[in-house]
Amino acid sequence: MQIFLEKRVNTSSSGRALVLSAALLLVLLISWFFFLAVGIEPFAAYKIIGEEIFLTKYGWQDLLVKMTPLMFTGLAVALAAQMRQWNIGAEGQFHMGTFAMTWVALNFDGQLPGGMLIVLMFIMAMIGGGLWGSVPGYLKARFGVNEIITSLLLNYVAAAWIDHLLFGPWRDPVSNNFPITREFSPAAQLPNFGNTSIHAGLIIAFIFVAIIAWVLWKTQLGFKIRLTGDNPDAARYAGVNIRILTILVFAASGAIAGLAGFSEVAGIHYRLQQDISIGYGYTGIIVAWLARNHPLGVIFSAFFMSIIFVSAEVLQIEYGLPISMVYLYQGIILFTALGTDIFTEYRLRIKRFWPKAGDN
Amino acid sequence: MEFFIQILIAAVVMGTPLLFATLGGVISERAGVINLGMEGLMLVGALVAFVVMLNTENYFYAVAAAALASGLVSIIHGVVCLMLRASQIASGLALTFFGTGLSGLFGDKLTGETVEPLSRIPIPGLHAIPVLGPVLFNHDVLVYFSYICVGLSWWLLYKTRLGLNIRSMGEAPEVCDSLGISVMGYRFFALIVGGMLVGIGGAYFPLALTPFWVDGITGGRGWIAVALVIFAFWDPVKALGGAYLFGLALALELRLQVLGIEMSPYFLKMLPFVLTILVLTLVTIRNNRRGIQVMPAALGKVFFRGEKH
Repeated sequence: MQIFLEKRVNTSSSGRALVLSAALLLVLLISWFFFLAVGIEPFAAYKIIGEEIFLTKYGWQDLLVKMTPLMFTGLAVALAAQMRQWNIGAEGQFHMGTFAMTWVALNFDGQLPGGMLIVLMFIMAMIGGGLWGSVPGYLKARFGVNEIITSLLLNYVAAAWIDHLLFGPWRDPVSNNFPITREFSPAAQLPNFGNTSIHAGLIIAFIFVAIIAWVLWKTQLGFKIRLTGDNPDAARYAGVNIRILTILVFAASGAIAGLAGFSEVAGIHYRLQQDISIGYGYTGIIVAWLARNHPLGVIFSAFFMSIIFVSAEVLQIEYGLPISMVYLYQGIILFTALGTDIFTEYRLRIKRFWPKAGDN
Repeated sequence: MEFFIQILIAAVVMGTPLLFATLGGVISERAGVINLGMEGLMLVGALVAFVVMLNTENYFYAVAAAALASGLVSIIHGVVCLMLRASQIASGLALTFFGTGLSGLFGDKLTGETVEPLSRIPIPGLHAIPVLGPVLFNHDVLVYFSYICVGLSWWLLYKTRLGLNIRSMGEAPEVCDSLGISVMGYRFFALIVGGMLVGIGGAYFPLALTPFWVDGITGGRGWIAVALVIFAFWDPVKALGGAYLFGLALALELRLQVLGIEMSPYFLKMLPFVLTILVLTLVTIRNNRRGIQVMPAALGKVFFRGEKH
């Protein structure tokens, strides 16, 4: 008997949907075992998660709140991936975005007219994240240094920098030694929707999805990006300056990741503190992958990953499980999605011993 | 002088987990399999070693269990990227997520528990050599084991048929396949053996460096090891030098304050990561300039019989 993979003649979208549902089922099955391993009755856990998320007003709100940073970071990773570049430094770019905007909020509060403060914070978050993102971009473009490693390592540097500020110069003197800055004034806060915790960051995220989709498919720049991703040699031959483009894409990617930081700080916390990102930058990698690096797909995959985050929160409250459970889930989801992906293009065939004459 | 020797001793100690992980990375990448999941594998190794140590108080069991567990988890990576032909990079990242989550979930209740750290065993005779003796031959048993592993890896890769086959998988898998050598088999073998070494590197954290449990105990060292594989030019002996150089940076991080140098501890924390980026850049520039192609040619490429890529 021989088991082998055979290329499908045609791939259908219904086939894709089938594979995706099978993958989802597999994720639920695998997490079943992990629930049992930590001594939790899986059915009860799924039931509580389902009820808390979908049947309560707070659950829905939380889904949209958590979805906001994930849309930004997913979009950031997806944009770089359109050019076949791995930006896995969205976590650090997120942090440098929060650093730059907090600097504005702490130093220019009350000195700028009207809504200028929040606009300046918005711009600075993009610059902070963008400059941080352009470092691996520059090193890749100029010297060919592996961007996966450099962008990832910079995450640790950024995290240490934020810690330095929070435990040092920026610590609020009246915070009882907690590593937090003072609260921003209302002029540095994003408005919320009515009484909910959903804030304007969600709208900005949707606008950026639209902008990036437009750039990628309706402009010459976007064409160059996609062409370079598909075939760098052809792009070079067509006169695309790949070096400049690489730096530009990394800077833009970092700027978008920086906006995730902006929306979290100005929309929820109103101050810089530790653990503002609970792995949103890293999750952006999965969001982008599930979306096949398509900006519009990011909306759906960000929503999906948001369910995972809120589920982990529910598990934390109900069962006292650590929030790092999120990473385990993400690992399982990415493994499953990667592992089942092949079945959209191939099918499993089982051949018994040697084929007889006339067999396929 | 005394201080200088102390720093070098610390460099070897801090470099040991990096050395194990880099060796593991070298072996699997030589067979053409990128393992970006080293941080996750190290965390799995650390967790398993700590749990087994708590329950059995036997160092050998702890290290063996860590190696076994990391080897097993590496199989997932192998199934996904070798058998199911997914991107090795994405699958490696999934492995990092998985390992981080696993150690976070099961390590949560262990926070604050402590184990007895490995004790130093000076090697009779050798440890009395000035400078070299205390720096290299007055350590715990895992450090000595890492020396052996460097030799073994070198011997395996360059002096055995097995090693030749492994290296060939990283250069020209289609040629191996045409000669009837199982690409899948050798790649899996290298990935699992490599994963076991990475796991032992992880085990070194709770068994020697920080004999209590903290979440994320490896603190990004797995990623430094990923860069070290490149820095070591995919060579086990050069991995030794690379690991100790970074061990030195980590040792300085702990001891610079003793020298009276005033610096925010957070800047010192950045040091190894910034150094890694700098060194990686310099190595890349050097290779470009000399036109050296040291990277295994088939690294990260999906191999499937009968299909062109």
